[in-house]
Amino acid sequence: MIALLSLALKQLTRHRLRTSLTVLGVASGMFLFTSVETLQQSLGEATEETASDTTLVVYRENRFCPATSQLPEHYVDEIRSIDGVREVIPIKIIVNNCGASLDVITFRGVPEALLQQFAPEIEIVEGSDAEWKKRDDAALVGEQFAKRRGLKSGDKFDAVGITVHVAGIIRSPFPQDNNVAYVKLDFLQQASRTGLGIVTQFNVRVENSSDLKRVAAAIDERFKSDQQPTNTKPEKAFFAETAGQLIELIGFTRWLGLGAVLAVVGLVANSILLMVRGRVKENAVLRTLGYPSRAIMFLVLSEGGMLGLIGGILGAGLAWAFLRWQSFTMGSEGHTLAILPEVSTALFATAAALVLGIIASVHPALVAIRQPIVKSLRS
Amino acid sequence: MMISCREITKSYSKGSHLVTPLENLSLEVPRGEFLALMGPSGSGKTTLLNLISGIDTPTSGDLEIDGENIAKFPRKQLTKWRARKVGYIFQLYHLIPVLTALENVELPLLITSMSRKERRRKAEAALEVVGLSDRSHHTPSELSGGQEQRVAIARALVADPALLVADEPTGDLDRESATRILELLRSLARDHEKTIVMVTHDARAAAAADRTLHLEKGKLLTEDPNLVSI
Repeated sequence: MIALLSLALKQLTRHRLRTSLTVLGVASGMFLFTSVETLQQSLGEATEETASDTTLVVYRENRFCPATSQLPEHYVDEIRSIDGVREVIPIKIIVNNCGASLDVITFRGVPEALLQQFAPEIEIVEGSDAEWKKRDDAALVGEQFAKRRGLKSGDKFDAVGITVHVAGIIRSPFPQDNNVAYVKLDFLQQASRTGLGIVTQFNVRVENSSDLKRVAAAIDERFKSDQQPTNTKPEKAFFAETAGQLIELIGFTRWLGLGAVLAVVGLVANSILLMVRGRVKENAVLRTLGYPSRAIMFLVLSEGGMLGLIGGILGAGLAWAFLRWQSFTMGSEGHTLAILPEVSTALFATAAALVLGIIASVHPALVAIRQPIVKSLRS
Repeated sequence: MMISCREITKSYSKGSHLVTPLENLSLEVPRGEFLALMGPSGSGKTTLLNLISGIDTPTSGDLEIDGENIAKFPRKQLTKWRARKVGYIFQLYHLIPVLTALENVELPLLITSMSRKERRRKAEAALEVVGLSDRSHHTPSELSGGQEQRVAIARALVADPALLVADEPTGDLDRESATRILELLRSLARDHEKTIVMVTHDARAAAAADRTLHLEKGKLLTEDPNLVSI
């Protein structure tokens, strides 16, 4: 079998230009497929609720943009008193663009003392906590955000009319933390001119994920008759609701992925069919030498599989490297979706390319074994 | 007897016509004989060669080769039989251009359970028989026509088949190369006890064989020196 695989590989080198063009086409298709799969997977991670989710988002009822969701900061004490609540943090969010966008700059204003308590998983990888505490305009910038903007500790940067000093670069297991800049709440309230005491939302951590619905209902019930009624949802459900435009857009990309798959199948099938037609006599010679039909099929399917595999490795590998390097973030309504490719996605795309290459070669393989030997030798 | 054909007929449809390139042909070829088949185009000599080599099946009659009636074999069995018993030499060699001479010779062994080392050893031995050991790592494009045909003969020999069939093996070669190929075929029949059936248009090539049979319109006309039933 290995000997036949080696023969199939050598056959591919016979028409270098045709093989290269086919591999290039497959690679382009799988680049697109991997990008679409990465988008879908990133969206899935951001919106699909899991048993370990314990975060609620409290937003102003009937508001969907950070600019219009304004809640009194003092709600924090009342929320904290609700049974099942472990921690609450008031957050002021300022974004450069409320609609769906690929280039979102998000400032999250949080009380200085509460950040470490609310998000202990955040790790400062550059700069220091002392620098963050020392300056009013200090910002802890997410790793991906910093990479995208070329920021390092000690830099100053200005966005959405707010100038901050980069006190540190942070890393978090949650992609959304890696794509924002954390600043102090009172600083952001003043810098954005919304005034002290007004926040965009509260993020609430509950004791158990089973408490999510009950606590959300209790919070909304508590402020139902207040001047600023609330709408509380699990964080992922909240993202899924507010980022509707984004989700619709990403949903459309499924069709692009399907198109890429069909293009790969068509391309490999065409290339292998041409190859089989060009080697009618040669296949007849192999059958004369005693090669059974299954060996001829194996040779043709191997060539298709190899075209798919090489193109898949190239396309998926390039897409993975490109998305890693670019660190794209899609944002909508102040929420960010980090498009982070997983190795498993690239491996899946490569395996898919291999399978597609084999599937595309089935018809040409059948053509190869169905030709009568005598007629083929005369052709 | 190596080959025993009894009243074999081959016919097939071509459009609305029934074509019968061979009709009630009987023939016997003893083991180790080098037989030449001659005749004009369309006389049925290549059809007979294809039947004997098992790449085609007769419409009727019996075709016994080395004690097995291959006319009754189903397709899969015939394929296995070919791999074991027959070496086919083509007029235009039909070597795979991306493979070296050694790899081309090794081709029939790739579908066996033989180890790589054993395959290499057998392929090298076959190349030695045809006198091309020093060209084993050359690709077909780096060989002359005569050398390519010798590689093709080594490929036909490598699985050690009892029967070699050759379809105009010297048809595309100059006289000097043709003479070497014919000498080689003679020595394979004489020294290695291979039964060889060769189709040729060339009387000089036929003269190298032990016996020559003439076909015309699907029937045997003469034989030399022994008469067979027609």
